[in-house]
Amino acid sequence: MRTIFLASLRTFGRRYIAAQIAVSASVALIVVIGVLIAGARAGIMAADGAPYRKADYVIRAPKDDPQRRPSCCPGTLNTAAAIDLIARLGENASGLGRVALPLRRQDGAPLRSGNLRDETTVGPIANAKELRWQALVTGRLPAGIGEVVLHVWDANAMNIAIGDRILVGEGPTVAPLEVVGFVESPTTWTQASMYVTWRQYLQWRDHPTFHIGSVAVRGKIGRLPQGMTAYAPEAYVTESLARLNNGTDALALLLLLFVCVALFISIMVVANTFSILFAQRCRDFALLRCVGATKRQVTSSVWREAAVIALVASAAGTLIGVALGYGLIPLVNALAPRTPMGFPRFPAFWLLGASALGLVVTMIASLVPTRRAVQMSPLAAMRPDVPVDIHTAPGRFQLALAVALLVTGLVSLAFAMIEDSKVLMVAGGASVIVTILLIGPLFIPPMVTACGTLLGRYGRLAAANAARNPRRTATTTTALLIGVTMTTAVLTGLATWRTAIDAHRDTRLPIDVALTSLNKPISTTLLTQVRQTAGVEHAIAVNGAVARMTGLDAPIPVLAARNAEQVARDGGRFTKVAPGTIALDLDSFASRGGTLRIRPGSRVTVRVGNRQADLRVVLLSGWGKAGVIAPETLKLLTDSPEPHVIWARGSRGANWLQLVDDLDELADATGGTIEDRLQARAAGNRQLDVLEWSALGLLGISVAIALVGIANTLGLSVLERARENALLRALGLTRKQLRQILAAEALLLSVVATLLGMSIGIVFAWVGFETFVVRALRAATMEVPWISLSVVMLVVALAGLLSSIIPGRQAAAVPPAAGLLLD
Amino acid sequence: MIGQRPPAPRGGLHSAEAADVRKDVFQTPAASARALTKTFGRGEAKVHALRSVDLDLPRGRFTAIMGPSGSGKSTLMHCLAGLDQADSGAVTIAGTDLGSLDDDELTIFRREHIGFVFQSFNLLPMLTASQNILLPFELTGCRIDEAARARAAHLAEALGVANRLAHRPAELSGGQQQRVAIARALLLSPDLLFADEPTGNLDSAAAAGVLHHLRRTAHELGQTVVMVTHDPVAAKYADDVIIMQDARIV
Repeated sequence: MRTIFLASLRTFGRRYIAAQIAVSASVALIVVIGVLIAGARAGIMAADGAPYRKADYVIRAPKDDPQRRPSCCPGTLNTAAAIDLIARLGENASGLGRVALPLRRQDGAPLRSGNLRDETTVGPIANAKELRWQALVTGRLPAGIGEVVLHVWDANAMNIAIGDRILVGEGPTVAPLEVVGFVESPTTWTQASMYVTWRQYLQWRDHPTFHIGSVAVRGKIGRLPQGMTAYAPEAYVTESLARLNNGTDALALLLLLFVCVALFISIMVVANTFSILFAQRCRDFALLRCVGATKRQVTSSVWREAAVIALVASAAGTLIGVALGYGLIPLVNALAPRTPMGFPRFPAFWLLGASALGLVVTMIASLVPTRRAVQMSPLAAMRPDVPVDIHTAPGRFQLALAVALLVTGLVSLAFAMIEDSKVLMVAGGASVIVTILLIGPLFIPPMVTACGTLLGRYGRLAAANAARNPRRTATTTTALLIGVTMTTAVLTGLATWRTAIDAHRDTRLPIDVALTSLNKPISTTLLTQVRQTAGVEHAIAVNGAVARMTGLDAPIPVLAARNAEQVARDGGRFTKVAPGTIALDLDSFASRGGTLRIRPGSRVTVRVGNRQADLRVVLLSGWGKAGVIAPETLKLLTDSPEPHVIWARGSRGANWLQLVDDLDELADATGGTIEDRLQARAAGNRQLDVLEWSALGLLGISVAIALVGIANTLGLSVLERARENALLRALGLTRKQLRQILAAEALLLSVVATLLGMSIGIVFAWVGFETFVVRALRAATMEVPWISLSVVMLVVALAGLLSSIIPGRQAAAVPPAAGLLLD
Repeated sequence: MIGQRPPAPRGGLHSAEAADVRKDVFQTPAASARALTKTFGRGEAKVHALRSVDLDLPRGRFTAIMGPSGSGKSTLMHCLAGLDQADSGAVTIAGTDLGSLDDDELTIFRREHIGFVFQSFNLLPMLTASQNILLPFELTGCRIDEAARARAAHLAEALGVANRLAHRPAELSGGQQQRVAIARALLLSPDLLFADEPTGNLDSAAAAGVLHHLRRTAHELGQTVVMVTHDPVAAKYADDVIIMQDARIV
């Protein structure tokens, strides 16, 4: 059979290209994901893990450490014990920690940068070269007491040059330091603005914020003091990765789901390719059987063929995946600097796994077509004039299976909604899709025919062609249908989620920017300036008074807003407080100086000058450090309310970071302060954007595979129909018309797939909505993104048309006479 | 793979053994059918293809089965060749009752004892002529040895296609394709060679060539040849003619 196997590969190899593309794309997808996960791992080691990179052990406090630590730095080591340990290990140990200290120039001038005013963080630099994780940019590293290196960003921000002298600390531990160099250091919890030698660092050991979080050790540790545990550096990374994954559980599930979708679609495209090719070759098989090839011989020859196809496709997919994955790493680093990725070694497990999966997928896909081809009676070869028709309608067994699957699928989906079960949802969805696959030949061809009549003459002919082989048409359509279904479900789900999150955020963060001026009332000039700042949609001054409140050391403005609906994203609802109560922004007070000691429902005394009111506390969030009271309450406290706060709303699409900067400048100039919620909002939006685009990108691959499937089906059918096409051409059909018929066929297939896919996708999205979103956000309503869906529809239809180009050219290239002679 | 060594080739066209073979021509028939009955469809649409047909095919003779379309001649041949199963009755070839074989056994039996030449589509399009001739040998799972190659070359020579061996079927004329098919059918020296309208697609000159070769096969090689045809000119080349009508031999 070797001769036959080799000759088949040589003759038909080219026709497997589409199937190979499908398999390669799936394999590449898995490899890319593998490389990116390995890249994230390497990134963690390069960033968070940097201090431990060359270490053999990391010594930390055990996770269930009973000893309580300061709230700033939980899980740090016992300072005295850690210092003793590092002294004992000498060069082989590097203590990691930070201390926050006051900072001045030696001439007494203040140094400020951003939020850190006259204060800095100082960390130690390891004695041993190998354990140093800061990278020198210019100058040199500190060699002893009295020398310091600065992080290059801080040095730039504070305008410090090499050779400058600074004073760090205060009182008895103040240290005059000379700046000897600039370094860069990765963003880890150990990152500080400046680094000194270990001996220098120990000088501040009695400062309240001084701590040693962990110790990186080379070589043997010896006896470990109590309250310390040694880990391998790898374990640290694994733990960090797990923490990262916990936050993105949904993303991991999504990735897995998309890989499954891509694989499933590949199986269908490959199975369809095999079916069509085997249908064309069924006479070869029958002849082989006649002249004495057993079923087993034919099967094994076909399987070897499939295996070669699969191996080639998997190898190509792996190569493409590796290239793409490694190419994406710098891109991810450029786009998302907060999640740095490193260049990993080859993730062998993923590469082998993906190749094996490619092989398995192809073999599974070849099972049914092979079985059908081998079941052919040898007699078929004896009747050359009878067109060989392979049984295609779903049998009774398939129908029964389909009904059973549909019922269980729908019941699972219903239960998924009631029980909020993700597993049931996925299982239900999968059953429904398999049902479509099974009974597709019953309803997809009639749909194609119905749509075809709408397209006129060519449409009818194209529809007749498409409906001729129901199983083939159904499989081709279903492959695309699944891609469109998932895309629709994800788009609808994300639109719904986004709307719900927005609504939720609007109540939690009603005011974008609050500018507070405690010392003097806001002038109309300032209000005008704020209103004229680029990116400000609207701003209002809010009347109130500066008050002192029990439980708070600093004075705060108490406000009664009458027209908050002009700027508030919740329509000003948060300002409607009942007389006798005061609403406080929980986040604003909690973010600085630890926790707010005031509990909701407790009573506080608010004093303005010599008048006071006893008010009940309501805790809300989102407008900054101010108390919101009813106008009646304000009247009790003062007769002449003055504006102390401006509330501004950012316009959509503006550069919010720039806006906050500009307003900060205005506030600084007038002695005020600003608080903003725009950055939180932007970060949230960015996260959803990343999720949406990665989901669409991944699904795009599946849809592309399915479109390759359409091109493939058309291309192979054209070969089969060469004689009919030649007859049509002989009867007067022009080349262009022939191409149009094929274009119409491709369009019909993609449009029917899109219509069905979108309907099912919206149903799936609704199930997902009931399962996921409603549980998280009770007030959410389902949102169907009609515009995005129309774009998807248009793109798929165009791509369908595009996929008909090559087959159309092939068909039109055959001269009528040659076509009629074809056997 | 199920494989057995093929029976040793029985010599060339002018072999001395041919005479020995001819000795037992009338001793045991190459194939025999007893009470073969086959119907297609049921009820009103029921069609009788074979009505209790009895037949003995003598060894070393060229037999033609003739009859109009629908007379059952093709069905008879399919049943004799083990390609189709009769409803009742028995077929015996070379002492083996075909009814007692399962699909795999029947396939291997066909490979070793029966050769086929069809009206068209005789050759695998992706193989060369020589690969097509060697196909039955390859299916036995044995390595193609010098002896097999020599026999294939000898058959090609005898059938006048020796200079076309490296070509694919698409590059051969219809007559050449049929002669390659005859060479393939003869490769393993089958007990029976079935030809189903072998000249149906050929012009008269090519047809004469093919028929001449079939006749030589029977007379010079001692090969039993059965040909189904509705062409009286083709039937003239045969030693015996069996005529079928209404699913019976007349």
